[in-house]
Amino acid sequence: MSETRDLMLRSLDRIVHDTLDINARVAADASGQWPGKLWAALDEQGMTAIGEVTEGDLGFADSMALVGRAAYHALPLPLAETVLARRLLGRAGIDIPDGPLTVVAPGVATEVALTGGRLSGLARGVPWARAISHAVLAAGDMLVLADISGATSGQGVNMADEPRDALDLGRARVVASVQMSRAASAVEADGAMLRAVQLSGALSRVLDDALSWTGDRVQFGKPISKFQAVQHLMAQLAAETAAASAATDMAVVASVAAPDRFAVAVAKARAGEAAGKGSAIAHQAFGAMGFTREHHLQYATRRLWSWRDEFGGEAYWQAELGRAIAANGADRLWATITGTG
Amino acid sequence: MNDFRFEPVAMPAAAVALRSEVRTFLDKEMAEGSFKPTVGAMVAADPAFSRKCGERGYLGMTWPKEYGGHERSALERYVAIEEMLAVGAPVMAHWIADRQSGPQILRHGSERAKRMILPEIAAGRCYFAIGMSEPDTGSDLAGVKSRASRTEGGYRLNGRKVWTSFAHGSHYLIGLFRSSGRPEERHIGLTQFIVDLKAPGITIRPILNVYGAHEFNEVTFDDVFVPEDMTVGGEGQGWAMVTSELAYERSGPDRFLSTFPLLVEAFRELGPDPHPAAAAEFGRLVAHLATLRHMSTSIAGMLQKGESPATQAALVKDLGTTFEQEIPEVVRRVLPLEARFTQDKDLYAQLQQLALQQMASYSLRGGTREILRGIIARGLGLR
Repeated sequence: MSETRDLMLRSLDRIVHDTLDINARVAADASGQWPGKLWAALDEQGMTAIGEVTEGDLGFADSMALVGRAAYHALPLPLAETVLARRLLGRAGIDIPDGPLTVVAPGVATEVALTGGRLSGLARGVPWARAISHAVLAAGDMLVLADISGATSGQGVNMADEPRDALDLGRARVVASVQMSRAASAVEADGAMLRAVQLSGALSRVLDDALSWTGDRVQFGKPISKFQAVQHLMAQLAAETAAASAATDMAVVASVAAPDRFAVAVAKARAGEAAGKGSAIAHQAFGAMGFTREHHLQYATRRLWSWRDEFGGEAYWQAELGRAIAANGADRLWATITGTG
Repeated sequence: MNDFRFEPVAMPAAAVALRSEVRTFLDKEMAEGSFKPTVGAMVAADPAFSRKCGERGYLGMTWPKEYGGHERSALERYVAIEEMLAVGAPVMAHWIADRQSGPQILRHGSERAKRMILPEIAAGRCYFAIGMSEPDTGSDLAGVKSRASRTEGGYRLNGRKVWTSFAHGSHYLIGLFRSSGRPEERHIGLTQFIVDLKAPGITIRPILNVYGAHEFNEVTFDDVFVPEDMTVGGEGQGWAMVTSELAYERSGPDRFLSTFPLLVEAFRELGPDPHPAAAAEFGRLVAHLATLRHMSTSIAGMLQKGESPATQAALVKDLGTTFEQEIPEVVRRVLPLEARFTQDKDLYAQLQQLALQQMASYSLRGGTREILRGIIARGLGLR
């Protein structure tokens, strides 16, 4: 890890320690509003104006590391969505508005069209839409930046109480639109990569916490980590976490300029599977204690259960991989696997 | 942070060039019918194929030229062996000699052993077996009872080894013997010997495996003489030798590619336009495969840099053997076997039936899954 990246991640750790207490988390989950102090602190450090490939102080891999670390801390704010939007806008050459941004996942938007400079259609599951003024979306071959103030037509939350709202795109105003070939595919793949990075970050947290918990918790006169059954659970959790981060790193390396759809599919499918297995193992290790609302484990596991389904769940990406190999012919499977080196 | 990173490794140009060279060689061999793809390729032996590999410089690849090696990088060797495993080539004859015994002799053997044996291994003419397990000693290796006693100019070996793969086709065996102390003294007093399998006093008896194939053996030692300079690492160093090289052994492509040739044939059977549910089942395996290969090549890169990532290697083997055992189970849900029991068996049916009967061994050989999880737990600081 580079020194710059290490400093940045430490700085994020410090901000989280100083500005996000349990009351702020509970308030964010209940209200659907992110803690303003937290966003301001990140903003001041330049951590919210990242994501573009060529601009800003941070490289792409560094910004992905920051998103992963934010997920490690289960930060209740739209940092990943802002980074994703900035990356897409930067690639399209659209001027990037300041502040938090959101993105419409193509898989949950219906009848999206851009005709005569006006949008139409319905988007569901849009992160934090109620509290954000601008969204990025794909309409046909166009990447669109839209002002969505007043366009929220319904409110909801995912399993982690992160706002996931509906947008009546007819009420959104087009700010800019630029032709981008296969725009929906690009938005979807970049979004899936960001979610994979987040899954991997949250799994690291679950592993860290499970290791310290099993080392501290004493039953039958010794820490439960001394029991072989528990050691094997932790080994499996470490393996799933390692697989998720390896698959994700591979996708990030392959996707600097634009998403590599094969690598992203591998990452989202593998990290999503690890999320399910990993959260089940962690809850087993934490026992009844970890099954309470009060316990911090749920901040990670409810995000794992939600993020694995966003921008396409495992089955979606697995099917894409299966179809791609089948269509290419069995004899080219190995060349595809070794194609990146 | 306790998570283990697997930094991507960039394959050097020489490895990329070697890949296409090896692929061309293997394609030609298959076209000429020199071998048919199989699963668990480390259990299919073909000395003629091994000699061809030796002639082409694919054995002893990283060793010094003065011992018959080719002074290539670990990543080049990685590429050559993964290409062979991916097509299910019969690599068993030379496998242990090239992967394990040769490197041990190179590092810890006497000069005479190196000069006599290594060039023959690199030529694909000399094969090795491993004598570790005994009837009462499986995972708990430190309990070996087979003994070595001092004699004029060397040692006399007595005892019995089991599950010794390919001893019947091998020239030598590297075996672990107790040279001093009692079994209760555990790790102390163990020595590894290079044993000539034609030496008087050796008896090799087949032990047929679950599907009736002769792969492993029982080897008995009745006052077998081994010269002084045929120890590996010297007297009493056996335990350190056995445990020091496990990262090499546990993270290689053989730990996740055993049933890959079956996956290829299953994709062929599946056809170009599969049902979405079947596509997802197969695609899941592709995601696992791509991830495991990334982790495994990353470890090869760490080894190349002189690191010793023992915990990461154990993680790869645990995930890898689980994966190669999943392929037959997933595939049989989509491509049922029943009718294929009767018909002329196509390659898919042959590989599938072999894999289903063979795969229990994947999480036993080279350290059981339970032992590996213990090693991972130690790496996590739990023991």
